[in-house]
Parts: sequence; C-alpha cells; structure tokens
Amino acid sequence: QGGGSAVIDMENMDDTSGSSFEDMGEMHQRMKEEEEEEAEGEAGAGEEEDGEFLGMKGLRGQLGRQVADQMWQVGKRQASRAFSLYANIDILRPYFDVEPVQVRARLLESMIPVKMINFPQKIAGELYGPLMLVFTLVAILLHGMKTSDTIIREGTLMGTAIGTCFGYWLGVSSFMYFLAYLCNAQITMVQMLSLLGYGLFGHCVTLFVTYNIHFHSLFYIFWLVVGGLSTLRMVAVLVSRTVGHTQRLILCGTLAALHMLFLLYLHFAYHKVVEGILDTLEGPNMPPFQRVARDIPVVSNAVLNTTAKAIALTL
Amino acid sequence: FCRLYGGYEYPQQAGFVPPDMMQQQPYTGQIYQPTQGYTPASAQSFYGSNFEDEPPLLEELGINFDHIWQKTLTVLHPLKVADGSIMNETDLAGPMVFCLAFGATLLLAGKIQFGSVYGISAIGCLAMFCLLNLMSVTGVSFGCVASVLGYCLLPMILLSSFAILFSLQGMLGIILTAGIIGWCSFSASKIFISALAMEGQQLLVAYPCALLYGVFALISVF
Repeated sequence: QGGGSAVIDMENMDDTSGSSFEDMGEMHQRMKEEEEEEAEGEAGAGEEEDGEFLGMKGLRGQLGRQVADQMWQVGKRQASRAFSLYANIDILRPYFDVEPVQVRARLLESMIPVKMINFPQKIAGELYGPLMLVFTLVAILLHGMKTSDTIIREGTLMGTAIGTCFGYWLGVSSFMYFLAYLCNAQITMVQMLSLLGYGLFGHCVTLFVTYNIHFHSLFYIFWLVVGGLSTLRMVAVLVSRTVGHTQRLILCGTLAALHMLFLLYLHFAYHKVVEGILDTLEGPNMPPFQRVARDIPVVSNAVLNTTAKAIALTL
Repeated sequence: FCRLYGGYEYPQQAGFVPPDMMQQQPYTGQIYQPTQGYTPASAQSFYGSNFEDEPPLLEELGINFDHIWQKTLTVLHPLKVADGSIMNETDLAGPMVFCLAFGATLLLAGKIQFGSVYGISAIGCLAMFCLLNLMSVTGVSFGCVASVLGYCLLPMILLSSFAILFSLQGMLGIILTAGIIGWCSFSASKIFISALAMEGQQLLVAYPCALLYGVFALISVF
C-alpha cells in the first residue's frame, strides 16, 4: 500500500471515487429503487395494506442499515488513508541511522568551536544523539530533584522534568528556526534541532557534576567554560551560515542568551537545598528547620493562654 | 450465499483434527504459538465438546512455566549468547510477575510506588517501541518490547530487595546501582540485537535502556 515510503503519492490523494457525496447520493438512489421493486413484488403477493405497511417498515430499516454501513466504510477508508499519510513514522527513519562511533565523534565535536566561519559549516541532520541527550537531561534533572527532596505541588517530578527539557529543545529550536527564516540563514528545522540537541551535552555534563558537588564557584566556572564552549560552537556554525552583521548579531545573541540562561535556570530551580546547606555550614546561624520549629511553640503558647483565659471566664 | 457457507464450514472441519493432536503432544513442548492457525478454530470446536477434551488451564492462558524459566535464565546470565527466536512468542505473564515483585520489594522498604512503576514502565515501553521501530530494518511489535523490558527488570528486583536492609545512598550503593543498571541494560540490548539483527548498534540500544532502568533505580534508591 506504500506505507513504507516517505514520498507522498499525489495520485492516490486525488482519488475520490466512491467517497464523494454525489456517489453516495447515486448509491442511495440505486438502493432505494431496488428496494422499491422488491417491496412492490412482495406487496402484490400478500394482503395489500399490511403487506405494504410491513414492506415499507422493513424497507426503511434495511435501507437505513445499509446506508449507515456504507457511510461507516467510507469514513473508515478516508480516516485510515489520512492516518497512514500523516502519522507515518517512517518519515523520521533516515534520521536515526547512525553508528556509535559517529555519535561519539559528534558529541566531542559539539564542545569544539570551529574557526572557519566564512564557509558554511556542515551540520549533521541526525536525531538520535539529540533525543538521547534530552532524555539524559531529564534523568539528571530527576536525580537532582530526588537528591534535594524537591516537592512539586501541581504536577509530578517526571512530568516537570520531561516538560522542561522537551519544551526547551522543541520550543527554542522552533523559535530559532523562525528567527533564522527572518534573518535569511541557511538552516533547516532538522539541522536546528540537531544543533541545539548536541549543545545540550555541555548542560548535561555541567549539571551532572554540580548536582553532586555543591560549590557555587565550581558551578560558575563550569557555566562559563563548558556552557560557553558549546554556545560558541553553535554560534560559530550559525554565523557561518548567515550573511550580514545585523542578522548575525540577532541570531547569535538570542541563541547565546537562551542557552546560557537555561543552564542557570536548571541549576537554581531544581536543586534548592544547595542554598540551605551552604548557609548552615558557614556560620553559627540556626538551621532553617529549627527556626521554623521555634516559632510554633510561641504561637501555640499564646493560643493556649487565651483559650485557658476564655474557659476560666466562662466557668 | 453459497460461498459464505463454504467459508464457515472449512475451519470447523479443520477444528476437529487438533484436539487429538494436542492431546498427543507433550505439555512442555511448543504451546500456544501465535503462528499456529489451529487455535481460533479449536476454541470454536471446544464450545460444544466435553470436559476431557479441554486443554489445561495454563495452556489455554498461554502461560508456559518452562519458557518463562528459560527466558529468566537468559537474562540472569549476561554473558550467555541469546537466541533470537525466544522472543517470537509475546509473553506478558512473566513481566507482570516481575513488576509486581518489584513493587512488593519497594513496599517492604516502606515506599508505596506501584503507580510510579506502572507509569514509568508504560512510558518507557512506548518510547523504546518508537525508537526501535525507527532504528531497525524490520519492525518490532509492542508486545515484544514490553516482554523484553519486563524480563530484564529482574536484576532491579535484587537491588530493591537489597535496599530493604541497607541504605543505598553511600558509595557502595552507588557502585551497586551502577552495576545493576549496566546488567539490566546489557541483557535487554543483547536480546534486542539478536531478535532484530542489528549488529554493531548494541551500545545505541543499550543507552536508552540504561536511562529507563536508571529511573527505576532512582525509585529504589530514594
């Protein structure tokens, strides 16, 4: 049926025989005439009134059923045709055809900024590596949230992590593709997805290290060095594919800002205990939990006193 | 009309043959293979037959303990070469038992996480199904993916039973967790590679499996 090809066959799309309203009308008319002929033959054999009555009722029921059946089959055929055309997962198949060596090479390359920006740099249009990196980021976020006992009030930990990572990858890629379209940069959507996905490698490394070793200065060093390297790589590739100073500035500035700010956001939003632990380790301050616990007896004592007074007054 | 009656007659005639054949076959042989054409007809013919002709209950349900045991052994010996044909029958009884056992061991450790286990396994199976369909030349069915991933959950049950008595948050726990995740994903990728004939891509299949089992390990540890 051609479900395995990625090429849309326009001939089949235009084939409307048996599925348009005119044809339905024709079929309906034909069936009605056949039934009328049968009914006439039956009515002639038995009693006229009753036979006709039964015949008409039977005719209507049978005709209705057949019409409904026809419409169901037509609708089913159209739906399955549309489904096989749009939900064809085979369109994505060429982007997953990779070797482990290639993936490793591309991961390492994503941290090395290119020097030659006068010639358009090649971007591998591959989706396996970026998809795996996004899932790795989800796993690292989950790990960070679990180790810091983060409580998500409206939603689940898994849902938040998946939503954040996939939202960033797909959303920022689409936004950058839109900007690239405005700035006349030569890049396709798959290439943009691939570029941004491989750029998340730096984020994964940084977060993996800094969620386990809690030093603010270490995080800032990693943010600048590792995040900066992967941003520089993406920026260099984009610059090599764009013409004009203003356009280059817009594209690269936006990408750099979004990429670096995302890493900052991930570190501070998903690992809150870092601040509390550092505060308690630094000086003779009371730990936050004890501070909260100390307030409550004051309140409860006040409440106890007022209720005791109220009871004493009433007695 | 004649053609219709002819079509309905045929499987009934064929259906009278299998009861004798199935009684003569030994119980531990190949049972309830989906590829055999007899089973739907035999279900029809048993409708009016007597009690002695019915197959044993486990055979009718498709639960073959011998096969379950063989597949369990394949998972437990990570260095043993996997046979590609063992995954031809989609058996979800074994994985169901393993998921319940995992939930039960977590319960013994004081964590009521049956919902998380169910949700993560459903999402994980769906993601692996999409990925394997995209990466392999021949397609793969959802039942096969669910079956393989369920069987390879067995070492994770060892981890969560260890977590009942000892805390896994120290250095020993990290090493043990990493080892068990590696064991699970290695077995799963080994079975997928042999069943789908994807040589040279074992690492590419093992990594998503490792992520999935890593999430299960996260539930066990924290």
